Amino acid sequence: MPYSGPADPLSMALANRLVGNAISSTCLEITYGGFEAEIEAACSIALAGADGGARVSGRDASFHRTLHLQPGDTLSLTPPVNGARSYLAIHSGFQAAEQFRSTSTYLPAGIGGHEGRALRMGDVLRSIEAGLFASTLETPETLRPVMTHQFALRACESAETKLLNPEGQRILFSETFTIGRQATRMGLALTGHELGLDSDGMMKSAPVFPGTIQCPPSGVPIVLSCDAQTTGGYPRIAGVARCDRHLLGQIRPGDQVRLLRRTPDAAVEDYQRKQSYFADWLDRGF
Amino acid sequence: MSTRLTPVRIADDIFEMRADTPRQAQKLASALRAEEMVEDVVAGLASVCIKFNPRQQDKIADWLGAFALSPKDNESAAAPLTIDIRYGGADGPDFAMICEALSLSPEALIAMHTDQNHIVEMIGFTPGFAYISGLPDQAKVPRLSNPRSRVPAGSVGISAAFTGIYSLAGPGGWPLIGRTAQTLFDPDAETPFLLQPGQRLKFKAV
Repeated sequence: MPYSGPADPLSMALANRLVGNAISSTCLEITYGGFEAEIEAACSIALAGADGGARVSGRDASFHRTLHLQPGDTLSLTPPVNGARSYLAIHSGFQAAEQFRSTSTYLPAGIGGHEGRALRMGDVLRSIEAGLFASTLETPETLRPVMTHQFALRACESAETKLLNPEGQRILFSETFTIGRQATRMGLALTGHELGLDSDGMMKSAPVFPGTIQCPPSGVPIVLSCDAQTTGGYPRIAGVARCDRHLLGQIRPGDQVRLLRRTPDAAVEDYQRKQSYFADWLDRGF
Repeated sequence: MSTRLTPVRIADDIFEMRADTPRQAQKLASALRAEEMVEDVVAGLASVCIKFNPRQQDKIADWLGAFALSPKDNESAAAPLTIDIRYGGADGPDFAMICEALSLSPEALIAMHTDQNHIVEMIGFTPGFAYISGLPDQAKVPRLSNPRSRVPAGSVGISAAFTGIYSLAGPGGWPLIGRTAQTLFDPDAETPFLLQPGQRLKFKAV
């Protein structure tokens, strides 16, 4: 089974933290905003990720802060300009179907989450337990991820990097790419530079993971994201390092991406540094 | 006899190990999955990857270095399962292109596919996607240079002398020769995947 899960696990962890949940409690992942809900029972929620502005019963409400809502309140999100996905956490977590030991919605298979599908107007969602969270918390300013249209992703060479010609290797790790029109939970196309590849398209299908960068014969690389397939037959020319994979969930079509080459050991240090940066606030990591 | 592993680091948190055959890769993956330290294990056709938390990289490297695999076959002794396929037309948009690439008449391509015994070597890509061996070596068709963004569920493709069956709709890069109406993935069934590694198959034109 693919990983599925949140496209931006850091933002989901930050939202859950504000309502006293475990970091992987079931949240809503809202892509490109445009969300409205009526509140039927008192509940505590929090928002993190791409922030286009939120309103509670017509008044401005903040991301990165515990919000206590009352029956009759309305909650609405405006589509964000920077970043792609917002996370809505509720105290105790949302009720959801668990399949393959996960409540994530995996759309290609129609499983998990709420009836295995994207939410529709009229759906009713419930928290696992009723009641408010006793605290009101704010994410420390310095820990709030800044949303942007320009991403620098640390990346390591992968199993088939050497199938790129030398110019292709140079371009991959030094030029700026533009994200293509299709930027989904499956993957993101890196357009603007076609890479020269020494491959006959006959590679034996090999394991791939979220973060793996594949290069089909067209020379347009694809960064796989959280819903990526588990194996693929295109050369694996690089892999986004673990420390920066959470950013893949916030990249939009048209955004600019550069890959910064790292050795695996340097990337592990980057990962540990980022985890320790958040460690005081997210004591179980993200 | 046991097999020594030579892990290659293909990302900061992934090791890849070669396997001689798809079946050996499946066996190795099953054995590696037993270890709790490992976050994920995925078998390909000629390799297995493990994903780990970099905090445990030294422990993982030591464990892999000392790992020994004992042989045991997972080929099913069960009777072959028949998959009904509608070849060509809208169900197999690349059928004509493949006939041309392989210099075969439509009848000859269907005969090549239906005369053979096939075996599921691996499940991967999306849930239930089956990589199936059994085609003769001359059926070497390259993947599409631009993958399709949406392939209908049940689509049957061939590439590099393998047959691939898409259990679910989704993107895909295999040239398509036909489609089956059989249910390949049922999340509520006791065994959600109809096709399992080691399953023997026959294809039938309908």
